Amino acid sequence: MQRIGVFICWCGSNIGGVVDVPAVAREAAKFHGVVYSAEYKYMCSEPGQEMIVSAIKEHRLTGVVVASCSPALHELTFRKNIARAGLNPYMLEMANIREQCSWVHQHEPEKATKKAVDLVRRAVAKARKLEPLFESAIPVTKRALIIGGGIAGIQAALDIADAGNEVVIIEREPTIGGKMVLLDKTFPTLDCSACISTPKMVSAAQHPNIKIYTYAEVEEVKGYIGNFSVTIKQKARSVNSKCTGCGTCWAKCPTKNIPNEFDMGMSTRKAIYIPFPQAVPNRPVIDRERCRQFVKGKCGVCKKFCPTDAIDYEQGDEFVTENVGAILAATGYDLIDWTKIYGEYGYGKYPDVITGLHFERMVNASGPTGGKILRPSDGEQPKTIVFIKCVGSRDEAKAREYCSRACCMYTAKHAHQVLEKIPGSQVVIFYIDVRCAGKAYEEFYLKTLHEGAIYTRGRVSKIYPEGDKLIVKGADTLLGRPVEVVADLVVLATAMIPSAGSADVARTVGFTVDKDGFFQEAHPKLRPVETNTGGVFLAGACQGPKDIPDTVAQASGAAAKIIGLLSHSEIAGEPTISSVNEAICSGCLACQGICPYRAIEPKEIVERLPGKQVTRVVASVNSGLCQGCGACTVACRPGALNLKGFTNEQLLSEVDALCQ
Amino acid sequence: MKGIEEQIRATSSQLLATGDVQMVIGYGAGSDNTKTMPVFIKRAEDVGKLVFNPLCVSNLANYLLQWKNFEGKIAIVVKGCDSRSIIRLLQDKQIEREKIIVLGVSCPGQLKSGQAEAKIPADAVVSEAAVDNSGFKLQTSGGLITFSLDEGLLEKCRQCESSRPVISDHLFGEKGFEADKADLQFNDVAALEGAPLEEKSSYWDKYFERCLRCYACRNSCPACSCRECVFDMVEPDWVAKTVNLSDNSAFHLIRAFHVAGRCTDCGECERVCPADIPLRTLNRKIIKDIKELFGAPMPGSDLEALPALSFYAVNDPESQN
Repeated sequence: MQRIGVFICWCGSNIGGVVDVPAVAREAAKFHGVVYSAEYKYMCSEPGQEMIVSAIKEHRLTGVVVASCSPALHELTFRKNIARAGLNPYMLEMANIREQCSWVHQHEPEKATKKAVDLVRRAVAKARKLEPLFESAIPVTKRALIIGGGIAGIQAALDIADAGNEVVIIEREPTIGGKMVLLDKTFPTLDCSACISTPKMVSAAQHPNIKIYTYAEVEEVKGYIGNFSVTIKQKARSVNSKCTGCGTCWAKCPTKNIPNEFDMGMSTRKAIYIPFPQAVPNRPVIDRERCRQFVKGKCGVCKKFCPTDAIDYEQGDEFVTENVGAILAATGYDLIDWTKIYGEYGYGKYPDVITGLHFERMVNASGPTGGKILRPSDGEQPKTIVFIKCVGSRDEAKAREYCSRACCMYTAKHAHQVLEKIPGSQVVIFYIDVRCAGKAYEEFYLKTLHEGAIYTRGRVSKIYPEGDKLIVKGADTLLGRPVEVVADLVVLATAMIPSAGSADVARTVGFTVDKDGFFQEAHPKLRPVETNTGGVFLAGACQGPKDIPDTVAQASGAAAKIIGLLSHSEIAGEPTISSVNEAICSGCLACQGICPYRAIEPKEIVERLPGKQVTRVVASVNSGLCQGCGACTVACRPGALNLKGFTNEQLLSEVDALCQ
Repeated sequence: MKGIEEQIRATSSQLLATGDVQMVIGYGAGSDNTKTMPVFIKRAEDVGKLVFNPLCVSNLANYLLQWKNFEGKIAIVVKGCDSRSIIRLLQDKQIEREKIIVLGVSCPGQLKSGQAEAKIPADAVVSEAAVDNSGFKLQTSGGLITFSLDEGLLEKCRQCESSRPVISDHLFGEKGFEADKADLQFNDVAALEGAPLEEKSSYWDKYFERCLRCYACRNSCPACSCRECVFDMVEPDWVAKTVNLSDNSAFHLIRAFHVAGRCTDCGECERVCPADIPLRTLNRKIIKDIKELFGAPMPGSDLEALPALSFYAVNDPESQN
């Protein structure tokens, strides 16, 4: 028989100013199971907490009901409080008579008082059915896995490794570095992107605590917070570890003229190649789809010339397992394929309509044109360049509804670079808004404006060629008149979208994505670098479009969270998770299919029937993976699955109490 | 139909004789000449007890649940509609595929309950039966008895999506009944959906009021495989056990939700109901809704197509909101 104490809080005048708190306390004293009922100005204050502790001892209470604010605020406070008096911390039930009562019924104090009584009756009914719950101890493997070796992944890896933990980076490209190494200068300071990111790549590669898999993908993730087992698919590089990166192979390779992805196809590479000279690791891969040895079965030039016998045509994909305690997803972004959507800009038919990333490579001193801005069609220097912002962003009708955030600034930077590099050039920028929220961003935009960039507010409706020029037709919506620009080059600021394959990463690791396919954070404000899956974190543009400063900040934030997790040798497992009543479970495993956290697995049990033993399958809950969402308890028709702390019996008695 | 019956007997005899199966569940002659009843044949010499005719209305699949712990392999006779129940049981992991042999019948159609009793004299023995577009022809010791399709055909046969079994190891009968496309449109449900709220409410009240809570609907249902049913539980006492409109309604609605997305429209619940409650209409309403909302096929028509409400998908439209 439970002996329940009810403690009703005034919260100053927050509750007490509306609800007749003493009357609620008097009513509560009459409820079945209640042996003590009291009220106080501030239950969460030290005297309030003392009052609860002494009442537990004096009245030998077995369960406590606190009627006050939302449990989101003070459930933990009161759990610790009753634990001090020797009660199991989960023998607490709260009734929210502030947010759900006094605040919303300010003008109806009598009804509010009546509702408060009902809410307390409900809480007492549940408290009568409470059972002690115990946290489990989950051991933590002090290693982290980072998926994606862009600037977010590298920054987080360095932070985590510097704190003394081992880090494994998985990168699907042949080199780490991501998109940042492609860029020329970074706004607003105009420092060289590669100059600040390649040293970080090298630091990561040389760090004793960091292990890097490039040309690799996550194949399978098993386990749960603190204890993940990750199978990594190391794609066949066809070059083994004897390679010194001397460069003989790609110099000798006869298969030329393959469009170089790193230069957005504006330069060529060989069939055996490193993406760019500062690649980490400095070890080439063979593009098996183009290599003569693989396509035609004969060539062998690279193997013949390799001084260290590092070429291995027989190499197959390898699978490696790494055990880690935390996973960071930092898979970055891609640009939307505008050529499939924007017919009015020519579906990619006109060579002189390019994207911002093409421009970055072109303006980069190590890029395909050696830093010269040239028209792809004829290699001439353009004089009039049109920039179109929000291509695919803020376009609900054709592409994405959201703002890609970085384009306003990089377009301003591009404009600045054009005006600086091409004397007498003209820059026209079509925009919807100019959004420059960031330190020194607005200043940079104004500088570009003063340098002579022509900002025209409006969308471009059509681009078509005329002679060797492009006619750009649009509207100036501020002046309310049509605009036509005869351009030499058009640069589109295309939308950032989640990188290709990121949905597979989410599915493999086991967390959710938002409506646009970006990775879903656990809370948009308070848990921005965590997913809803315990031990899985997020950083960078995979969570939403962002620029480099925000990405790096978020990466360090996620790293701090991971370092915090890995600083424990054991963590407490939430006890409010699902459990299976095997006697009732029929083994249909409807719960398994419905579980978003893959926490349910079949298990065989042996059962005695008259005259024989039978083996049958029942569901079992992995306590490390279960997040206590309760989906399985709803899917289970007979209620064999029950959420501890929210059991069917508890919920039903609450409903009964409310229906009285 | 004599041909189908003979084939069932021959195959059963062979399966039992070779030890491929240890039991055959099929139809046998009933307590009177207008009914059949389930028979459980364990010896090859007993296969003569197996029959197949337009009186084999019931769905035998549920017996697999009752023989779940049978040591050995079972062969079971199923019509097109019943075969979906086999998939139901497989998807619900209540039976193992390798422990059953499905004797599928492409069903020519079944006789409406009451019609046989009305026309076939009590002492007449049905020796041969045939169904075609013109109706049923029953050769009996009392002479030829015929029913037009309109008067004789069972309602669920009229709405039959597949008279050919969706799963079978042996298939008997060449061509089953082919329903008129217009009858597959859930028009019966749509008609009720369109009625005013009060009318719908009184329609169901009228039926639920007379429910005896005998649970025959549940007991005969192949989708009801729980070891302990919520309606029998005392703690938690989900649904009151009293027989009155309120609790009866709760019982039927909860049952409909428990089989939602899984009910294969075999019609057993309605067939066995002693109070003639149109339970198929209730279940078919949900089948129709799920079909429209999720584009899901008739439950049980595809082993690979899991019930629409039974799995979590990252790209579920619901999780995108």
